[in-house]
Amino acid sequence: MNILVVTEQRQGKWNNTSFETLVAAQQITSATSGTLSVVVIGKGVAGLAQEVAGENVAEVLLVEHDLLENYTPDGYCIALKQVIEAAKPDLVLFPHTYQVRDFAPKLAASLGKGMVGDCIGFRHEGGKLVFVRQMFQGRTVADVTFTGAAPWFASFQSGAFRADLLAAHPSRKAPVNAVSVGLKPEQIRTKPLELFKEAKSSVDLTQARLIVAIGRGIKAPENIAQAEALAKAMGAEIAASRPICDEGWLPMERQIGSSGQTVAPKLYMALGISGAIQHVVGMKGARTIVAVNKDQNAPIFEIADYGVVGDIFEVMPALTEELQKTKG
Amino acid sequence: MAILREQLEADVLIVGAGPAGLSCALHLANLIKKHNASGAKPELSAENIYVLEKGREIGAHQLSGAIMNPKALAELVPDFEKSAPLDTPVTDSAALIFTKKSWYRTPITPPPFDNSGNYVISLSKMMKWLGGLVEAAGVNVFKEFGGAELIYEREGIGGVITEDKGLDKNGKPKDNYTPGYELRSKVTVLAEGPRGSLTKQLVAKKKLDNINPQSYGLGIKELWEVQPGKIKPGFVAHTLGWPLSTKMYGGGWIYGLSNNRVSIGLVVALEYADPRFDPHAAFQTWKTHPFLCELLDGGKMVRYGAKSLPYGGWYAMPRNYVDGGLIVGDSGSFLDSQRLKGVHLAMKSGMLAAETIFEALKEGDTSTKTLRLYQEKIEHSYIKDELWKVRNFHQSFHNGLFEGLVLSGVQEITGGRGLVDPMRTHEGHEAYTQIHGRTAPERFKGDGQLTFDRLTDVYHSGTRHEEDQPCHLKVHDLNICSTRCVEEYGNPCQYFCPAAVYEMVKEGNGVKLKINAANCVHCKTCDIADPYQIIDWTVPEGGGGPNYDGM
Repeated sequence: MNILVVTEQRQGKWNNTSFETLVAAQQITSATSGTLSVVVIGKGVAGLAQEVAGENVAEVLLVEHDLLENYTPDGYCIALKQVIEAAKPDLVLFPHTYQVRDFAPKLAASLGKGMVGDCIGFRHEGGKLVFVRQMFQGRTVADVTFTGAAPWFASFQSGAFRADLLAAHPSRKAPVNAVSVGLKPEQIRTKPLELFKEAKSSVDLTQARLIVAIGRGIKAPENIAQAEALAKAMGAEIAASRPICDEGWLPMERQIGSSGQTVAPKLYMALGISGAIQHVVGMKGARTIVAVNKDQNAPIFEIADYGVVGDIFEVMPALTEELQKTKG
Repeated sequence: MAILREQLEADVLIVGAGPAGLSCALHLANLIKKHNASGAKPELSAENIYVLEKGREIGAHQLSGAIMNPKALAELVPDFEKSAPLDTPVTDSAALIFTKKSWYRTPITPPPFDNSGNYVISLSKMMKWLGGLVEAAGVNVFKEFGGAELIYEREGIGGVITEDKGLDKNGKPKDNYTPGYELRSKVTVLAEGPRGSLTKQLVAKKKLDNINPQSYGLGIKELWEVQPGKIKPGFVAHTLGWPLSTKMYGGGWIYGLSNNRVSIGLVVALEYADPRFDPHAAFQTWKTHPFLCELLDGGKMVRYGAKSLPYGGWYAMPRNYVDGGLIVGDSGSFLDSQRLKGVHLAMKSGMLAAETIFEALKEGDTSTKTLRLYQEKIEHSYIKDELWKVRNFHQSFHNGLFEGLVLSGVQEITGGRGLVDPMRTHEGHEAYTQIHGRTAPERFKGDGQLTFDRLTDVYHSGTRHEEDQPCHLKVHDLNICSTRCVEEYGNPCQYFCPAAVYEMVKEGNGVKLKINAANCVHCKTCDIADPYQIIDWTVPEGGGGPNYDGM
């Protein structure tokens, strides 16, 4: 069986799952006495192609183009489609990465084929290649075989094969052949912007020394600014009880309680929070708890070190003002 | 765009790992084992039996008092006494009449309340144990997977689609999105418990209703650790009267378990007139009775839960078979409303379903032609004997306690026939009377020692859901909530829900419904008791819900 492995690199760095898939491919190749080719795709990746040529493969196909410098699903699909049509492999294998999840099904579909994704193993039985993949979150596994004509498409899960089992090329030097592909800018419908690290404003409330937390007493989203002003004046993080995050008035990572974060700051100011046990379990470890609530019977006062029975809309601005004064 | 779902083919798919579903699975696996050992053809495999369970683990969503009549278990697992978690045998059963300040024990315990020979158990523990036997027999139990949709086929069903995982609040796929699986099976067994969400659809679509609609009760339970010597293990009592009015159907239970634990609870039929009646508050009030005050003094509440139960009995039993499908357990009305015993009947129904399926698989025919055998088996089993005798029992209390006692007394001496047979009934929510501008009562607060508010109780149910998922409580017309229901019934959802899921919040000059779906303990009361029948309880992402471990 002739196998083509599509490796993954980004900015000239390997995605190491590529080598795990290469191990799987080597094993399938020897089980089916076929040949193994490897694709390295991108721009300025000849060095990587040379590197992988040291492994036990028949040849390395170097696919380079200016428009492949950054990953786009259109660019990869159009280029790889041409590579596959020229190389005519029986089986195309990918590492099951986020990027592969993005373009590989589209690539397979553009050739009128299906794809078996996220496999964890294979068996070669009676001349037939059987892929194994998990179902029901790993509670069971299913055997999958291809019907219809080649090429077939499959991807392997990260960790399914051990990269250290990679067999080296006998002469340490498989041939590297450049494959030219035709690609026009107008064929690419997405425009990659600059790469950025996931900008999840992941506040780590567990590290906050001071927390101003709001509850239902805040009444409306437009009032949150007042609490934020107070937090700013104190140098505190803003947090909330569940109803506030439920409404989407603050993001979920700012939720304190049994279904949110558990915190133990130096000071926890609970504004308009009644103190249901679900919230209290998330903040009772605070060194000092200050509670402001209109309802004098609110359970929050049972655990508060300082309690104000009163209107948070009087307390918040007054406190903010005083703090700003002292800061001068 | 249509979602392409992954498929799995099964011989038998059982939705729900409760007493009925697990008994069905184990009995069928045993029958198959024997069949294969005898060399008979066709060869069958227990590995082609699949069970779906929406809870985090087997037992997580199992809630009952519970007193178990062991007769079905003895048939299923003959040496059960060696390994089953039978907490304690019943040593004394009492019927207590409560008035506000006092109580008395009936000199002779009426036969329905006599529990000699039965066991006080934790249903959750019992199911965990039974589930272990099922898995050991080779059956696949998929925990954290719920049945979300039925696949209709022939004149019945051909499988189930499990719930989609990894959708956000607005139904958009998140990183971990996995579409539900399409599980196709020769026979699908609905063992979802009371008011099963798939059963409800199937019964409506295929018009499987019996002459009476199903009636339901709501049971609310707390598990307590009490001071040593307060109660004898195996002492079980049922209370009648206060705080429920004589117009209401229901009562309390007090079951002594081992290690100074006691199971207490109140069951109320969901067919009361006052739309602002609050079953949770009634339960809390019940605990302030001198009998319970004394029992619980110095003790500690350790767990909380709530669950509906089907009262309708024989005349509310839906047709329990369709092409490729059977209904078992509480989903199929297998509960004795007089003795409030359902565990053994649920198990027996599961076993009879297993025998039916076994025949059908051997025949290679899973249409109603073979599956109707299930109904015959029920007719010839003790299920029929037990349910037939009490076929009019629940209905006779329609006009209150006193008429009920008289009518059911007549039934007792006429083998269940009574004065009218069959006695008809209405859907419980039809009993609500309109509020006509009456102001709302003050909400129950709780003292934090003996009595608790609902949020505190919910906390003790261990309930947890993935927060960022679509709301699993589908209200089809939110306008009704803000307009008609405010006027007519005062939004009963705020009162009947024992987990503080439904809340009316101010918006502008009016109110709107806010659904705190993450609190949901999966009792199904909202689906049952909503006066406009516009609430559909659907399965949330698998693994969500209460944790009734030890309950």
